[in-house]
Amino acid sequence: MQEPTIHLSFRLAAWKWATMGILIAVFIAGWIVPLKSGIIKVTPDKAAAGEMLVVDVTGYNSSFLTDTSLLRAWLRLSGDTVIMATRIQVTGDRNLSARFYIPSVFPIRQEAYPLTLVLDHSQDGTSVLPNAIFITPALAQDTSELKLWFKDKIESVHEKAGIQYPFRNILAETIRNTYFHVPMWFAMIILFGVSAWYSLKYYQQGLIDFDRKSIAFIKVGLIFGLLGLVTGMLWAKYTWNAYWSWDVKQNMSAIALLIYAALMVMRSSVEDDMQKARLTAGYNMFAFGLLIPLLFIIPRMTDSLHPGNGGNPALGGEDLDNTMRMVFYPAVIGFIMLGLWMSQLVYRTDKLKGNQ
Amino acid sequence: MKLNKSFHIYGLFQQRMKIKGILIMVMLIVFQSAQAEGEQSPDFIRSIGKIYVVAGVCLIILVTLFIYMIQLDRKISKIEKRQKNE
Repeated sequence: MQEPTIHLSFRLAAWKWATMGILIAVFIAGWIVPLKSGIIKVTPDKAAAGEMLVVDVTGYNSSFLTDTSLLRAWLRLSGDTVIMATRIQVTGDRNLSARFYIPSVFPIRQEAYPLTLVLDHSQDGTSVLPNAIFITPALAQDTSELKLWFKDKIESVHEKAGIQYPFRNILAETIRNTYFHVPMWFAMIILFGVSAWYSLKYYQQGLIDFDRKSIAFIKVGLIFGLLGLVTGMLWAKYTWNAYWSWDVKQNMSAIALLIYAALMVMRSSVEDDMQKARLTAGYNMFAFGLLIPLLFIIPRMTDSLHPGNGGNPALGGEDLDNTMRMVFYPAVIGFIMLGLWMSQLVYRTDKLKGNQ
Repeated sequence: MKLNKSFHIYGLFQQRMKIKGILIMVMLIVFQSAQAEGEQSPDFIRSIGKIYVVAGVCLIILVTLFIYMIQLDRKISKIEKRQKNE
């Protein structure tokens, strides 16, 4: 018998090379681009009005020591209603303490006043921590102090140079998950869509090959959906504080996955190949029709923890900035192409198996 | 009579269960190690701006895709073997 020779050949379709290239670029860019500077902690987080207040600020990716002269800090009530720090003492690149005098009267009357801390540094740019300190009203109110609120303005702020991803409170570095968690769902939807298309083709022409194709796409689509769910759960644990918070989008995507899992179970319970293929085709088109209201319509009708739900469209405005778009869109395209590639492999394997 | 593992229904079932068992084991180890580290220092995963969450997400994606590819590879090998025997 002839000894089988191993041919090491790297000949591959161009789009498969492109898939690898795009994904490698996404993983590198997703990891090495730094975040903008931000504020992670402010102590104390409660204070009384009408007193001097010294707050310790902990920064993130900050370099307070490099240029202390132009460092400014404000506490903002709303809009231009701010007070500026009278003195700032820098104790390290990540730590500083700022002195404020909180006026005893406020332009609005509330039980407690949440103040936003705004920092401006010549190199780090502006960093903001909303609801940094809660102020309780003073016992003795001096109305002449009201003008203190309008003395200073936040102006001539700096911008950090270079390419960075935005710093968001709570999210911090996990903003990078946008390039890994979100494309999973895009890939899943595209794969299920292609699968539904082949099911339609099967209905029209009745070729068993179309059934094989549609099933391969569902198998890989399920893997991507499951990955989206698991990565989302891990992300949610450290940002929303629970693996599963019964968010409407979480629930609906789990239901969508269960519908497709049920398709696979139903398929394996039918013995006749033609009947199996016909049932699958019908069910599959129905399932894809359900996917659209489940993932795109219902989550937008109620409140959701996910960005871009409860009315406003996703991927617009504050959710993604232009730097992130430059990585996010390639990530989506790359993972979709990877899904198509994997489905093609599954289809070819199933075809080999079926021909025996 | 000796059972031929790959052609007997029980053998097939056993093999299936083996793969599933490995998958479940991997999942358990991942979750347990995450929990164990959480007990050691309560803020390990939240340190350095929660960067370990991103690491975990990337790891889950890569490990799952690799396991899937390995399974597919084994499937193809099996078909090739059967084709050779015919």
